[in-house]
Amino acid sequence: MCTVPMSSLFYFFKESLQGFTRNLSTALGSIVTIFLSLLIIGVFMVGGVMVENMISSVEEEVSITAYVADTADQESIDSLMADIRAIDGVASVGFTTKEQALEQFSQTASADIIESLDGVNPLPASIDVELTDPQVVEQIAAQIESNATFRAICDNPDDPAESLKYGQETVGKLFQLTKYVRYIAVALIGLLVFIALVFINNTIRLAIMARRKEIAIMRLVGASNGFIRGPFLMEGALHAIIGAGLAVGALQLLRMYAMPRIASALPFITIDVPGDAYLMIFAILFGSGLILGLLGSAFAMRRYLKV
Amino acid sequence: MTNDASTGGLARTGRHGRAGSHSRPTQMTTQLQALPTLEVDEAPMHLGSPVITFDHVTKVYPAQPNKPALNDVSLQIYAGEFLFLVGHSGSGKSTFIRLLTREIKPTSGKIYVADEDLSTMKNWRVPYLRRNIGCVFQDFKLLPNKTVYENVAFALQVIGKNKHVIKTQVPEVLRLVGLADKLNKYPDQLSGGEQQRVSIARAIVNRPPLLICDEPTGNLDPQTSRGIMDLLERINRTGTTVLIATHDREMVDNMRRRVIALDRGRLMRDQDRGVYGSDV
Repeated sequence: MCTVPMSSLFYFFKESLQGFTRNLSTALGSIVTIFLSLLIIGVFMVGGVMVENMISSVEEEVSITAYVADTADQESIDSLMADIRAIDGVASVGFTTKEQALEQFSQTASADIIESLDGVNPLPASIDVELTDPQVVEQIAAQIESNATFRAICDNPDDPAESLKYGQETVGKLFQLTKYVRYIAVALIGLLVFIALVFINNTIRLAIMARRKEIAIMRLVGASNGFIRGPFLMEGALHAIIGAGLAVGALQLLRMYAMPRIASALPFITIDVPGDAYLMIFAILFGSGLILGLLGSAFAMRRYLKV
Repeated sequence: MTNDASTGGLARTGRHGRAGSHSRPTQMTTQLQALPTLEVDEAPMHLGSPVITFDHVTKVYPAQPNKPALNDVSLQIYAGEFLFLVGHSGSGKSTFIRLLTREIKPTSGKIYVADEDLSTMKNWRVPYLRRNIGCVFQDFKLLPNKTVYENVAFALQVIGKNKHVIKTQVPEVLRLVGLADKLNKYPDQLSGGEQQRVSIARAIVNRPPLLICDEPTGNLDPQTSRGIMDLLERINRTGTTVLIATHDREMVDNMRRRVIALDRGRLMRDQDRGVYGSDV
């Protein structure tokens, strides 16, 4: 019923650009608030993808490491390895000596740290258990933990569980962390979205006020409601798209310049966000920006534009 | 030569008074002669169903619950009529007009415009009703930042007419109101009478069958008013129904057209070839 012809869209566009120049400061205000809220949403989304990847990469690590004491004799180690090999779901069992452990560590750690060790090797030897299925990792860990031989020769006899390391623990800690971060993000985004809505609402209100006379005449000569509302919806959408464009641009800059620095500053965790995820986030930012803009102007029109 | 043309026009006017033929006293002004003559064939008679029907219409504003702005008004207006709506301030003239354009709804009673019931009309259809009603006001309601041409074109633009229609109809209607040479002037460069002509041009550019004028000459001197009334008569001669709400006693008395008199919301008089009268 409110079909608007193509030529009207150009008219709306022209009118909304006019509104832009008419109230430059308020228009900038709404653009900047949209930009900031979308940027923060975007940063949190990138962070979310990063943590997600980290969690799943940890979860994919279907291995258990059982640290053994330096004093353990080769015989009990062999029998423990045989016991573990017998457990259902174990793919392979390997052994890492103290020397191998140090060598592996020195590959990731800086030379300073190796130097400061002063020739002493603090790392324990370990039995590395590869599993066929990540789902059973906790059950198998429990079985190893209850093994008598393991209890005897484990690195920390007071608390055998401490000598067993597997991915699930790290996952649990990450989840704890992300939960709090998520709360903060939701609160912050909610606040920013509210502010952005208020700003758009105000900008559109001023635009409506400025065009009072024209609106009266449009109603008088029978312009359809869609036609009267069109320019204002367009103006709100335009602000939102510009804000979203800025947010996407800023996020892309962060991706190009800040991410490599963060990656080199935090060598022990992999922060790898795939390009697809970025495209997805950009699309979401544009979409939510558009919704924000349309919603803000719709609110303003409901209150100030009776048609 | 101009006299011949005018007389021809008058003879035709005579045929579509409401109650049949009557002749208007000849008082053509120079202004009408200056206008291009519009050739019209037989003006439509008001046969068949009326264009506007008020059926026991009462309007009470919430602010004054004891004093209805319109009180049980019933009347019919036929196509091609030229009529005056007279009465004091507060007699209900503006309410009558606002009801017709569906700015407000009646408290009780029914209003039909072209067989359509305004009280049950859906909101989204109201703009399409208004495209069939041209409106002219005392204060012209022109956009100061647009030229004469743009002001008239605006009315077509906002109802989605294409460029071609605008380019042909706007100059045509401005020629009709006698402003062909002022297309690019701004409203503040025009006299009051000229501004009112622009506003009339805007009201009729979409060729509505009904033209409503609310005090069209309220801000104008008698000489200019005469010109505006002549223009409105010429528009009426093309078949447009013209309804004029006015205070201008002299004009109503001179024109001898149908007069509807309202007093404190009541329909006091509905008279063919009437006068302003002393009852209102």
